[in-house]
Amino acid sequence: MSEAGVLVRELTPVVARTLPWRALAAGAALGLSLAWIPRLPGDGTAAWQSLTILRTAVLAYALGLAFLLDDPARHLTSTVPVRRALRTGLRLALVTPLTVVWWTAVLLLIPSQVRPPWGAVTVEAAAACALALAAGALAVRLTQEPRPGPSVAAALLFTGIVSPLLLPKSWALFVWPQDKRWDTSHERWAWVLAGALTVLLLCLREPVRRLRPLRRGTGSSSPSGV
Amino acid sequence: MSAVLDEKVTVVQAPAAGSPGRAVLALALFEGRRLLLRLPMLGALALYAVWIGWTAPDYQDGYPALQDADRATQFGPLLVGLAALFCANQAVLRSKRRDTERHFGVLPLEPWRRTAAHALSVVPVALLVAAGVGVQFGWSALKSGAVGSGSPAELLVGPLAVLLFGAFGVLVARLVPSGLAGPLIVLFLFLAAVMVAPSGDGERGAHWLEPVVSDASGNSLPSDLLGRPAAWHALYLAAFALTVALVAMVVAGGRGWALRGALAGALALAVTGGVLQTGALPKSVVTARERASVSPEKVQNCVRRDGSTYCAFPEWSRRVDTWAGVVHEVQSLAGGPAHDQDLVIRQRIDARYGLESDTALQPSAAAHHVTVGTAWGGNRVPEFSTAVASVLVAGSEKATVDLCDGRMVTIMWLGISGLPDPLRSLRNVRLDDSLYGSAIVLSPTNPLGMTAAQTDVVRELLGKDHDEVEARVKAHWTELTAPKVSTARAAALLGATTPKKGLEKCER
Repeated sequence: MSEAGVLVRELTPVVARTLPWRALAAGAALGLSLAWIPRLPGDGTAAWQSLTILRTAVLAYALGLAFLLDDPARHLTSTVPVRRALRTGLRLALVTPLTVVWWTAVLLLIPSQVRPPWGAVTVEAAAACALALAAGALAVRLTQEPRPGPSVAAALLFTGIVSPLLLPKSWALFVWPQDKRWDTSHERWAWVLAGALTVLLLCLREPVRRLRPLRRGTGSSSPSGV
Repeated sequence: MSAVLDEKVTVVQAPAAGSPGRAVLALALFEGRRLLLRLPMLGALALYAVWIGWTAPDYQDGYPALQDADRATQFGPLLVGLAALFCANQAVLRSKRRDTERHFGVLPLEPWRRTAAHALSVVPVALLVAAGVGVQFGWSALKSGAVGSGSPAELLVGPLAVLLFGAFGVLVARLVPSGLAGPLIVLFLFLAAVMVAPSGDGERGAHWLEPVVSDASGNSLPSDLLGRPAAWHALYLAAFALTVALVAMVVAGGRGWALRGALAGALALAVTGGVLQTGALPKSVVTARERASVSPEKVQNCVRRDGSTYCAFPEWSRRVDTWAGVVHEVQSLAGGPAHDQDLVIRQRIDARYGLESDTALQPSAAAHHVTVGTAWGGNRVPEFSTAVASVLVAGSEKATVDLCDGRMVTIMWLGISGLPDPLRSLRNVRLDDSLYGSAIVLSPTNPLGMTAAQTDVVRELLGKDHDEVEARVKAHWTELTAPKVSTARAAALLGATTPKKGLEKCER
């Protein structure tokens, strides 16, 4: 077996242990219980309601994903020979199949007569998850914070709640299936997904040159203090 | 020899065991400042300010009824409330996240007092929101066209909801010390707010347990007919917020008898308010609504202006002069007996279903009676002036119901031509906002119908010299207002191009 293969095999259980399982489980559980709502006995769910439920469920799960790149031991692991890109990649590889299973379960829980077109909604869901991961990676790349999860979750939640209300109507990101812009809307979602994945990839490396806050009078490299 | 020890006794002043209340206050001020400066909070406050600036200036077309304007302040604070929930939650968890809980553990300030400080730290946000509510309501109240009166209890709902949400965030942090719990609860509350529409419950009932209770109708009603238990609801919100904060303190380890007593008292108040606000609608409100809908003359004040009588609900009596201006404008263009006809302008509402549904008014059968609603400004002005013109031409509102002849040209020209921008008014008063083809014309009661031919004639007349058309209207008044006059004949009398045949189908 190649050296990289051995490395991955040895790293996998270690990385798996450090994943924020509770946050992920909480987000997934809330998403699943939301998707259960249309099956409750009652006067039935309208199609727009099921789409809103799906979007909220995805946001709940994405909030869990915002904690994925938290690494309490970050300041210790920044010097180990295994690259951060590999460790982060392993985390992503571990979570992706679970996400696929979860999303399939959520889609199947929504009764088929009110289920929106699943392909398009999946693009939206993937974009939301990728945005959460990209925001987390960006926070790790740009700050010194070992656990940026809560702040990332806050930013994601704020964006998720406010953007359907405030984005210009012409952007047409949050549309209903009856809308004739449904297809163009999801081409845009695909672009959002691609952009988020690009940001995620660009931020995988360990930040070598750290951003230092500018301070007056300290940290000057010149012995004379000038 | 032994050295003489010059022993000076230095008295070390032990830090005065100051009242813990002051420490709690100091911590609350500190946390309050941090809470205000958190990014989500700043974002929410900025959005709230933008929302106020967006909605307040043109609320109800610039002629607000203040008993509606107070309720219109309640939605914006919910966003700030969600931010307060989230930020207060994170603030309580900060010591756990930063692992400073052990350091706090050696301080004399107990965890439950720190919890109290966190709950108090939401108060500055609530005060800011109260200022926002004041600005928003004041904007409406200072309008010259404002009528009615606001209710302080309705205005308190926004700030109290912020307090409730903040206290809830503190409680959740004490119950589930996890960074994800706050965001997930915010998400869940938001979904509940979007999905749960107030339906089927009637006017009172369990949906009054929600922090902000909206109503389905856009009608303005006199404030004594609203029947909203606003005071009980404000008491319920305040006591509920206090209960949640006190429960958080008990969860954090507070065990004093005063704390437990306060908790019991707050809970009792919350239950009292909650039960009383969901009780049945008082009989007096139901009978008052019935009376105002069926026989409004019993509760209205009537005044005379230029020979016509204006009857309005007491809260709207300030608007009589505005109506009289429009009536005078329309009547000055009319000819024959209609020029000096005394009209009765009566304000009518259908309040029997409260704020639950919009209901259409039946046209008045009495001769020379014109109906006016409770709203004004925007499209309501051409609608009213068209109704005045139709009564002047046809005699009564009932007589206009199936009116589908050349008189419609005269009605529309009379109603629209005196307004500042006639073509825009014509567009606004038509249901489909069009200037071509047949359309339904809105009015305070029953809609009128315009054929495509009539639309062409009216549009042409509005482009002609106003005085010339006015002279023709007055000269041919009797023939123009005779039933069954054809559109072609009316066009010829008024000097417009005779419309093509085949465009004479009334839309109903």
